Amino acid sequence: MFLTRSEYDRGVNTFSPEGRLFQVEYAIEAIKLGSTTVGVRTRDGVVLGVEKRTQSPLLESSSVEKIMEIDRHLGCAMSGLTADARTMIDHARVTSQNHAFTYDEKIKVESVTQSVCDLALRFGESVEDEGAMMSRPFGVALLIAGIDELGPQLFHTDPSGTFMRYEAKAIGSGSEAAQSELQDKYHSQMTLEEAQNLTLRVLKQVMEEKLDQHNVELAQVTVDKGFEILDEESLKAVIDRMQS
Amino acid sequence: MPQQRQFNPYSENGGTILAIAGADFAVVAGDTRQSEGYSIQTRYAPKVFRLTDKAVLAVNGFAADGNILVKTVKQRLEWYRHAHAKDMPLRAIARLIQTILYAKRFFPYYVYNILGGIEEDGTGAVYSFDPVGSYEREACRAAGAAQALVQPFLDNQIYFKNQKPKPGQSHPTHLPLDHVLSLVIDSFTSATERHIEVGDGLEIYVVLARGHSAQGLSNIPGAQEISQTDEGERVFVVRRDLKKD
Amino acid sequence: MNSLVSKFSSSTATSQLKQAKKHLQQEEEEYGEPAMWGSAGGFGNMAAGIPSFQIPAVADPTSFLRLHTDDAADPSCRIKIQHGTTTLAFRFQGGVIVAVDSRATAGSYIASGTVKKVIEINPYLLGTMAGGAADCQYWETYLGIQCRLHELRNKERISVAAASKYLSNLVYSYKGMGLSMGTMICGWDKTGPRIFYVDSDGTRLKGDLFSVGSGSTFAYGVLDSGYRWDLTDEEAQELGRRSIYAAGHRDAYSGNSCNLYHVKEHGWTYLGNYDISKLHYDGPGDVPGSAGHGYGYSERTAGLSSANDPAPSTENAPAVSVQA
Repeated sequence: MFLTRSEYDRGVNTFSPEGRLFQVEYAIEAIKLGSTTVGVRTRDGVVLGVEKRTQSPLLESSSVEKIMEIDRHLGCAMSGLTADARTMIDHARVTSQNHAFTYDEKIKVESVTQSVCDLALRFGESVEDEGAMMSRPFGVALLIAGIDELGPQLFHTDPSGTFMRYEAKAIGSGSEAAQSELQDKYHSQMTLEEAQNLTLRVLKQVMEEKLDQHNVELAQVTVDKGFEILDEESLKAVIDRMQS
Repeated sequence: MPQQRQFNPYSENGGTILAIAGADFAVVAGDTRQSEGYSIQTRYAPKVFRLTDKAVLAVNGFAADGNILVKTVKQRLEWYRHAHAKDMPLRAIARLIQTILYAKRFFPYYVYNILGGIEEDGTGAVYSFDPVGSYEREACRAAGAAQALVQPFLDNQIYFKNQKPKPGQSHPTHLPLDHVLSLVIDSFTSATERHIEVGDGLEIYVVLARGHSAQGLSNIPGAQEISQTDEGERVFVVRRDLKKD
Repeated sequence: MNSLVSKFSSSTATSQLKQAKKHLQQEEEEYGEPAMWGSAGGFGNMAAGIPSFQIPAVADPTSFLRLHTDDAADPSCRIKIQHGTTTLAFRFQGGVIVAVDSRATAGSYIASGTVKKVIEINPYLLGTMAGGAADCQYWETYLGIQCRLHELRNKERISVAAASKYLSNLVYSYKGMGLSMGTMICGWDKTGPRIFYVDSDGTRLKGDLFSVGSGSTFAYGVLDSGYRWDLTDEEAQELGRRSIYAAGHRDAYSGNSCNLYHVKEHGWTYLGNYDISKLHYDGPGDVPGSAGHGYGYSERTAGLSSANDPAPSTENAPAVSVQA
């Protein structure tokens, strides 16, 4: 894919003669090294699942945070250089609260996704007057799940600043296999429980270790309960249900 | 003794506005006289403006601040529509007006605002503001030069304050549109009689919820429709003359 | 000598040019500030995250504002801002009771009798409103979103001490500019039920019992004489109601109705709205803690001695007594 590597791939904001921004494309490649993350949308809500990838048994798995709440009706899962996601998620949280403050209503899922993507372009050298910019593009992709007046929605954002809406999406190292599995098994009439089972099965397929409640994390957003990350007990129950 | 006069950026342009919320409609009215001191500047300066098919804003106090405030609100409504691909619901417009007014907390807009329209759930609503942004949802409100004449009348006729219902009955919680419109016209004709800054003309905006038939308005001569779409909420204007002396 | 003059003088040509440039730059910033595009599009003065305000370009903006809006200094000022007036909160074994009246005045006109003076910051924190209605509404809503961000970032509820400190630091940065706000931040956190009094001078006080507003002196009279730590829930609610009634009765700027809240460990509950006139003649009705009769002096003492009005008969006795 990158056979035409040339002098144009070092400058962060230099286009190549063919019209490509190599650094941004390389950033998208970085996602493929990240842990697998899956999102599935149903009529009743959206399910997000991540592989925690605990390399060592001494690692405290509850400290690995790859799914985060943005607001009561919004959450997201990340894959790639997860440290980059912290600023993006904080920006999303602040945008959501500013919207609630100014308009006394919950922000739309697409609007908060757009605000996160607006950050993607702020890399380069900072000129005197403007605020400090980032030195490099983000190296993380997000799956943003939420519910608004248009129903449950799932969006995927990448370092180029593009976002797309998906019914089901997998990102990270096992994404190719996971995505084709999703394409096979997903149908739009799925219930939330079936989506949870599908998510866990897909993760189980691509994970090296045996799947249990310590090395995956599951979350969902529904109309009644908003965004919630399943705790260990509920997660274990869902895993047992999937395996039976 | 030498006196120094400092430039006063504010002025008072008189006039009165009011708004009443019904079960599935809202009425927002204002006279059209603009004065300064003892002079009438013009007999027709509108104080009530259609923001969307669901919301109407009446502004009173200092006309220049009122007009620029309406422009600012309309501009923010447009930016919102482009950013979020939908129209702002009424309570979002109310909160937005609070933030716009409070942004000038240290150099206030000398405007008393009343926002009327249809909420997301289809009920009529009226929101009233003070010049620096404190706001509240109510059933009816009058503001402006003759507010002390009109508000007590509305308290008695809409809230039935200090009235006892007939034995065995209770006061109606909502009044029909034609009754509300005659209350509005009576409020203004009476205010015109007793306040020098009120008169010349009356403009009444009526916002109807989806599904509310426009039957009530067919009895009212001169009702003009100014809605943008056929489905959804509808906005009508009724104009009347008031005494010019 | 020349260089000293040009450096410090404000009337030489070069310094005036500098000032004009600064002014122009500022203006450009100001009008470009409400970011028009992208994710900040449409947040107006909140575009930078913290609200920013336009200040009039006069030598003394504070006295400009006071001249036009402060009606304590000059009752004939044109711009009448709504003020709110008796609020109280006290801490006891069962949590926190918050009681407020509902009258808002603009000068001596009663602008509204249905104002909500308790601001529900979030399901476990309440803030009261006294002083400028807009200042309290705006800043306490803002405090609400900051508390929510704290919760999201730290994965635990914000303490009442931290929330009140946030608010007091915020208003302190506007000290002297004319904000008028006297509020009590009430909640239940890890340390138990808590009340903090915060005002626009920058005062922040922890305490068990506060009353704020023009009618606070009347409320304190009833509150101080009835307060104990081991009140039951019903007694505490009744005490809150009676104190607001006393203030509404005697203070011209307070009245209309009483709104009552009770903050418990799991959050606050709204107990109801009590019309103050009705409290005078009939009492709060059938609620726990009610004494079963009106709070007014004549009602309470009717028939107790030949010097008082005779006790009302069992049918509806028309209330002829005149309220002072």
